[in-house]
Amino acid sequence: MLKLINLSKSFGGIFATNNVSLELKKESINAVIGPNGAGKTTLFNLITGKLKADSGKVFLEEQNITNLSETEITHLGIARAFQIANIFPTLSVYESIKLAILSKKHGLYNMWGRFSDHSINIEANQIAKLSGLYKVKNIICSELSHGDQKFLDIALALALKPKILLLDEPTAGMGPEERWMMISRIKDLWKKTKMTILFIEHDMDIVFDIAQKIYVLQQGKVLAEGLPKDIKQNQNVIDAYLGGG
Amino acid sequence: MITFFKQDNFFRDATVAFLSWLLLIGIYYLIPDPGIHDIIQKVFILGLFALSLNILIGYLGLIAFGHATFFATGAYTLGLFLQSNFITDYNLGALSIPIAIILSILISGILSAIIGAICIRLKDIYFSFLTLAFQMFIYSIILALVNITGGDQGLMGGFPKPPFLGLDLGQPFDFYIFTLFVSIFVILMLRQLIESSFGYGLRMIRDNPERPSALGFNIKNHKLIAFILAGSIAGLAGSLQALLDVGAYPEWAFWSKSAEPLFMILLGGMHTFLGPLMGALIFEILNDFVTANTRYYGLVLGLVILGFVLGLRQGLLDWLLMQFNRK
Amino acid sequence: MEFVALLECITSPSCLLSQTAGGLKIGMLLFLVASGLTLVFGVLGVINFAHGALYMLGAYFSWQVMSVTGHFGFSVFLGALGVSIFGLLFERGLLSRVYKADLLIQILLCYSIVLILDDLVMIIWGDEFLSGIGVPEIFQIPPLFIFDAIIPPFHLVIISISLLTGIALWLLMTKTRFGHLVRATAINPSMLEALGINTTFIKASVFMLGSFLAGFGGALAASLGSIVSGMGNSILIESFIVTVIGGMGSIGGAFLASIIIGMARSFGAVAMPLFTDGLMFLIMVLVLVLRPQGLRGEKK
Repeated sequence: MLKLINLSKSFGGIFATNNVSLELKKESINAVIGPNGAGKTTLFNLITGKLKADSGKVFLEEQNITNLSETEITHLGIARAFQIANIFPTLSVYESIKLAILSKKHGLYNMWGRFSDHSINIEANQIAKLSGLYKVKNIICSELSHGDQKFLDIALALALKPKILLLDEPTAGMGPEERWMMISRIKDLWKKTKMTILFIEHDMDIVFDIAQKIYVLQQGKVLAEGLPKDIKQNQNVIDAYLGGG
Repeated sequence: MITFFKQDNFFRDATVAFLSWLLLIGIYYLIPDPGIHDIIQKVFILGLFALSLNILIGYLGLIAFGHATFFATGAYTLGLFLQSNFITDYNLGALSIPIAIILSILISGILSAIIGAICIRLKDIYFSFLTLAFQMFIYSIILALVNITGGDQGLMGGFPKPPFLGLDLGQPFDFYIFTLFVSIFVILMLRQLIESSFGYGLRMIRDNPERPSALGFNIKNHKLIAFILAGSIAGLAGSLQALLDVGAYPEWAFWSKSAEPLFMILLGGMHTFLGPLMGALIFEILNDFVTANTRYYGLVLGLVILGFVLGLRQGLLDWLLMQFNRK
Repeated sequence: MEFVALLECITSPSCLLSQTAGGLKIGMLLFLVASGLTLVFGVLGVINFAHGALYMLGAYFSWQVMSVTGHFGFSVFLGALGVSIFGLLFERGLLSRVYKADLLIQILLCYSIVLILDDLVMIIWGDEFLSGIGVPEIFQIPPLFIFDAIIPPFHLVIISISLLTGIALWLLMTKTRFGHLVRATAINPSMLEALGINTTFIKASVFMLGSFLAGFGGALAASLGSIVSGMGNSILIESFIVTVIGGMGSIGGAFLASIIIGMARSFGAVAMPLFTDGLMFLIMVLVLVLRPQGLRGEKK
């Protein structure tokens, strides 16, 4: 589904991403882990087109999408959610979701008719329900709880009906109970929508619980990759986490 | 955004607009004071100007310092066209004024497309300064081309106002109902624009300019279209002002003219649709009242603005509607 | 475009010299004022739209001191000092309340002060032009003739004073502890706060310094010409142009840009008398489009 081949990006001589190759199978759920500064978010930025790679290639279902613009890549089917909820403070949950849907459909140039009685209301309600935000759909984004804000960020990505969903630390800033709730919701989503998911996460219990395949990054390089049980026993990985990383 | 009605639709807005127009015509007869009529006309012309700027400031989040560029362009275009030989050469007759107005909108629109395309590539204060730089550059051009524009005297010699559609703009009443009709109509159209998907796209950009591209939305074109619309409407306002004053003056292209709609947006509020119009009302009343009683207009205006900035911290209409919504 | 006139001037030593001297006079005085503006922006992050009004106050204050003491030096210095005190009151009392607010609010606050002061000076000093404080007696000597160019010696004094002030400013910013603290505040104020340093005091001092520079410029301008309400508005716009071209926050950039603008005005008056201002704005547009961070500013 998604293939990265020898992707590299450096900033002023330092490699944030160093020769990274990975492959995500269709409908799989995968995790990227690694100590802080390992280059995980940079990797996401490269995949989604927010950053231009120095070298290497990115393939989406056999199509070469390397160095396409962020908007093009989004329309081709890759969507992401951010580490810090990246939403629209003065708009309501419902309005935000509608905007995301319209954006995907190139409908934002429409100066005719009112935004409020748009035909996408059914779709927007579906996304709201799917993300567990139906009850708060009319609340203004800045007044949402932290957890709901993170969910809204994901909902916006879902509204794009992506083939691949990238989640950057979906449980960041949450307490232990909320974290498991978030992860079980993500699991539900994954089962219902059959998307391919790649998420960045720090909580190892969660990672080992739901990821089918794990990539470990350190200093921009892929330190190890494989099934959870293999990663758990990988000496390099253990050293990286307990050692200086 | 703060709203008055919970549900909104075009027909309700159109009805309100039409009834307002009739009401204002009624006021013309109920209060036969030409000074009052003058204020009402000015409020709507300047209100239109301020509303057009609020597309950029209130809804898009772009602080444009140089918006009067388009107001002046519209005014001079209308004046120059009506003074030119086109009308007699082509025997335009009754079409003269409508064509002049359309031309004003068009030329301002084209200019705003050019200036906008260059300016929106910059952010924050740099964007603001560049719009100002363009404005003062054009102001200098207007002053320099003395033979065409009349230089610092402005467009002199007046121009004809051939009657059309049964209206003779030389008659105060005809001018009154015409100006109000055009202004209210455009305001209605603006309302539709703001409440459409396009308008919400603007709000999206204002709230979080980085996010839209991750949603597949290219904000550059959106910003440019908004800029062009704002500039065109400002040009229309300028052409109406030129018709009112039967002339066009370089002061309308000076940077202080760009400050006026900013004051109106502050006084009336940038978070309600009609805020800038109320701001124009406050501004005009202040203007009229103060200049009648003292020569120190700047002092009073400065104190009022200070009061709003430090005290109320929002425009009057914004504040009123927030109180209303609390109940 | 009077290309011929321009060419004739450049090839004639007297014209070249006198226009250059004129350009330097304009530029250096502008530098004095603009350096205050760019300094305030660099450290406080605020564009002080009232900077031109402070310049105007400098002129009026120095006139007032002159009419009481008759002493040039006192007038200029006390005038500038008076403005710096006013600046302190303005910063502490009003401006600091909107540091965290929208750009629009900050601008409107500053502009309201301009409106108020423009009328206030008329109420206090009358709405007629006030004649300037004049050139000090020792400089009331015949002009110098260099290569047939007529150069008033006092203009050279103005240039020197501004240059010296600029150097003093540079020394202050780079060689003193205060200067280091100021530059650190510009970069990372919260870090300094955490180290126990009172950044509020630093910010207020910088604003005072900026106001002093504006007032100083106004006082010197009062010796060159008449004093009237609203005289700060054109210098404000020019200071913006200089700040933008030089790079916001860069004093060295302001220096370069001031000279460029001064020369553009001086020679521009020969080449295109009706469009001199337009030339300046054209330069501003070009800089913003091609190199928004200015000559010496940092790329964002």
